[in-house]
Amino acid sequence: MNSKEAHSTGSVLTAVATDPFERDAYGKPIIHPNDPESIYLFGRIIRESEQTLLDLFTKGILSGTTHTCLGQELCQMSVVRGLTDPNDALVSNHRNHGHFLTYSGDAAGLLAEVMGRQSGVCGGVGGSQHLAYRNFHSNGVQGGMTANAVGQALSRRIRGESGVVAIFVGDGTMGEGLLYESLNMASIWKLAVLFVVENNRIAQTTPTATTVGGSIAARGQAFGLKTWRLDDSDPDFLDRADGVVSRIRRDSTPGLLVIDTMRLGPHSKGDDARPDEEMEEIRRRDPLTRLGERLLASRRMDLDAQARDYVQRARATALESPDSAGYLPGRSLFIEPAVPISRAPYFTGGVRASLNNALGDMLRCDPDVILLGEDMHDPYGGAFKVTAGLSSLYPDRVISTPISEAGITGAAIGLALSGWKPVMEIMFADFITLAMDQIYNHAVKFPGMFPHCRVPLVLRTPSGGRRGYGPTHSQCPESLACAVPGLTVVFPSHRHPSGGLLRRAALDWPYPVAFFEHKLLYGLNEDRGGYEEAAPDPADPAAALFPLLRGGGPDPDLTIVAYGYSVHIAEQAAAQLAKEEELSVEILVPSLLSPLPANTFLKALENRERVIVFEEGPGPHGFGAELLAVLAERGFTGRAIRVAAPPIPIPAARSLEQFVLPGVEDILNAAVRLLLS
Amino acid sequence: MPVSVLIPRINNNDDTVRLSVLMVARGAAVKTGDPLAEVETDKANFSVEAEQDGFVLRVEYEVGATCDVGSVLMWVGGSIDEQIEQIEEAKSATAAAGATVKSLLLLARYGLNQSAVPSSGERLTAEDVEAYVRSRGLQPKGAVTVHAAAPAEPKPEEPGRRESMSPQHRAMAKTVTWQRDHAATGYIEVPFDPAAWEQDAKQFRAKHSLMMDPLLSLMAWKLAQLAVQYPKLNATADGGDLYFFDQVNAGFTVQNGDVLMMPVVRNAGGMTSEAFVSALGKLQRQAMKNALKPSEAAGATIAFTSMARWNVSRHVPLLPPHCAFILAHSSAQLGATYDHRVLTGFDVVQALREMTKPT
Repeated sequence: MNSKEAHSTGSVLTAVATDPFERDAYGKPIIHPNDPESIYLFGRIIRESEQTLLDLFTKGILSGTTHTCLGQELCQMSVVRGLTDPNDALVSNHRNHGHFLTYSGDAAGLLAEVMGRQSGVCGGVGGSQHLAYRNFHSNGVQGGMTANAVGQALSRRIRGESGVVAIFVGDGTMGEGLLYESLNMASIWKLAVLFVVENNRIAQTTPTATTVGGSIAARGQAFGLKTWRLDDSDPDFLDRADGVVSRIRRDSTPGLLVIDTMRLGPHSKGDDARPDEEMEEIRRRDPLTRLGERLLASRRMDLDAQARDYVQRARATALESPDSAGYLPGRSLFIEPAVPISRAPYFTGGVRASLNNALGDMLRCDPDVILLGEDMHDPYGGAFKVTAGLSSLYPDRVISTPISEAGITGAAIGLALSGWKPVMEIMFADFITLAMDQIYNHAVKFPGMFPHCRVPLVLRTPSGGRRGYGPTHSQCPESLACAVPGLTVVFPSHRHPSGGLLRRAALDWPYPVAFFEHKLLYGLNEDRGGYEEAAPDPADPAAALFPLLRGGGPDPDLTIVAYGYSVHIAEQAAAQLAKEEELSVEILVPSLLSPLPANTFLKALENRERVIVFEEGPGPHGFGAELLAVLAERGFTGRAIRVAAPPIPIPAARSLEQFVLPGVEDILNAAVRLLLS
Repeated sequence: MPVSVLIPRINNNDDTVRLSVLMVARGAAVKTGDPLAEVETDKANFSVEAEQDGFVLRVEYEVGATCDVGSVLMWVGGSIDEQIEQIEEAKSATAAAGATVKSLLLLARYGLNQSAVPSSGERLTAEDVEAYVRSRGLQPKGAVTVHAAAPAEPKPEEPGRRESMSPQHRAMAKTVTWQRDHAATGYIEVPFDPAAWEQDAKQFRAKHSLMMDPLLSLMAWKLAQLAVQYPKLNATADGGDLYFFDQVNAGFTVQNGDVLMMPVVRNAGGMTSEAFVSALGKLQRQAMKNALKPSEAAGATIAFTSMARWNVSRHVPLLPPHCAFILAHSSAQLGATYDHRVLTGFDVVQALREMTKPT
């Protein structure tokens, strides 16, 4: 897949004879920055489109929500209009209609999307806030896509491709931390990114004078960005905005553009509490109306009619389309069949070496593989040395990042949208909470929300305790990851070829994967140790890639399900139960925690009467809870209990940590309880 | 005294290292600073040096071994013939005394009592049960349940709500059923002036700076001592035999929420009063946390219960399984429920009289 295919997410519209405007070779409307008629016509098209949406809401034909840019049409057109290189890209936000229309010229696609029709630009999945078309993406989380855009710009820089990436936020977004991580990354990586702040001075209903401290422009300067401030009511506004885009394009450096503008409509619908006098002032200022007044009245009326006619036809087209249907057959995000295993699993000694070798192999064999994370560079090689030696060999594709977990994750998503296969590292799994919005609202949402969109991202992270690192560096947060719909969660053990699983996650499974590595696994040797792969059920997505292992005799007294480093502990308990209590203990070792390979588990546990699920993380709402719930639903009749940590902080003192984290003795007690009561 | 030389940590994130070179063997004389061994990780080597003069008494690893950081690499002593103290191996938490879990499962499968099957060693094993089964040509009884199903009880006929018992509650019910089905109980009580005991407990508490009043623990300890002195107190009836337990396991009732539990201080007869008070206190705390190990919650051979804090004038406790005597402490009486198959009223009165005073 080349990068252009990768970040094209919609079909390219061909020019329609009845369009009142010209289009370029990629279907993008051509608006002349020095031609008031051209500007006015397109501004009217945006306004007509949004007024049509509000009208449809009033009539009950639409439901859900929408945010209009009434009064801000010229502001929204300006920078997008200047994105004339086909490789330019933009990310927008909840107030995105003006950006979208200026980039796509697809009013019918927009109206149908908001109406929930099949011909909507995202088939009705995204609605007003979540749109994708070629290199345009928008999402409804404030500032959430800023780091994605940085990743897209990083892709262009590494590949030596042309293209400016524009990021649109409002002044209300100044309160979001990810924005600052993004400004910083754009600055240190010297990317052709333009941050555009549409400064309408109100955030939903709150005047931003009460929520934004200091100067917005100074924020850009503080990060070393070139900074501009324009007013969308200036007569030569579009021309000046064009100059800013050209400057970014020419210098290939990041910039911040603040555009003073005024919102004529409510935040969404009917939620505007501004006083009449203020609204009157905004109407008097309205740049689109003022621009029209500078045209000949007859010409203006003609352009108004053209815009109205165009939007009416778009409305009719949208209304003709049937209601959206056919969303994700099987109600599963994973529409890929389980890929036949093309890569032989291999064991290469230590777990750390296995992962390191796998990363090295992937970098060598696949030019789309890229590594991001904190402190990855040599000679340090990452906090747990998993990436040791790699930055020396692949300096452009092993990137040490700022300490910005959300930013790194967002950038990796942007790289994935640009055709890369990013493998990123969060230094301690405890910190995935900092990246959670990027995982929860972005990485896993895009594949279902945007047509033909893939996010083949792997988030590697060392997890787990027993090292005395204390409450925030010792946790097993895989249950948080498992609770994210659409996130594939893989957790190797020393009985799996961890590097082999990592390769499959990165190369064979085109969905976001959280790949947990227990810290104590790194020092263990990996070998199969008498385990065999349980037959994967074809109905379980990814079960063939990330196998369930089974060890032990054919007619066990007890089955222990354990994963990650807990397998090592379960094996000690099983040995003791065998030696002292003469029990035959079977151990099942999943490497795929989510989507839960339920059918594979059911087959493996057929005729098993007693099952212990052992996990290091907290028991409530954990992996064991889900597994046992699924087994109960499917008619499992044996007895089962969980052995897991209590939901309390993990202390640093070794003695206290041992008290909290479940160990061999807990399994032994549970086994006796389960077998003898 | 021998000193251990430990496996060093080379890297903060490596919990194991490889023993690459061993420069000394058992019996070697070493001087402070002498290199003893080299260990390595993927990234670094490290030389382990002697920290004192002496002789190598024992080396715990072979070259090439993967060693846990912090574990003992070798022992160095001042003279060649010093003894290394044996480190007691961690005991199995299961410690199902007398029988392996597998053998218990087999007993249940064949509907057998543990006492019926002879053991070939310290513990009853699966092989013992299988041999017994083979010798008698027995067949499994169907479903695997460890405890024989209780005789069918009449079902309640009036409408009501059903709630399953907690495991602790079930254990309590099982105890009650043992008395109903097996023991032949009697009850005797004697008047009791607690002043002397209270004085004794006060002195003990002051001497040992205890947080909690040790009165009841001291009384339970004395009961355990009596059980050593009068072995019939520490016996049970088994078939036509009297069965004298080898050691005194003192049970002590603990109310936790709505269930009674009986933590057991094992081998209490051989303990000093201090050790007993400490051990019982620990068990009581575990019981309150519902964290008793199975081995700590069963196996009493004599028992103690008190309702003095509720100021009752009398309470007649039930016997735990295989106990012949449970002392009932009230504010002004000491009573005992006893298994008349084992003890006579005279035995019980004697024991109760002994119990009315600390010495």
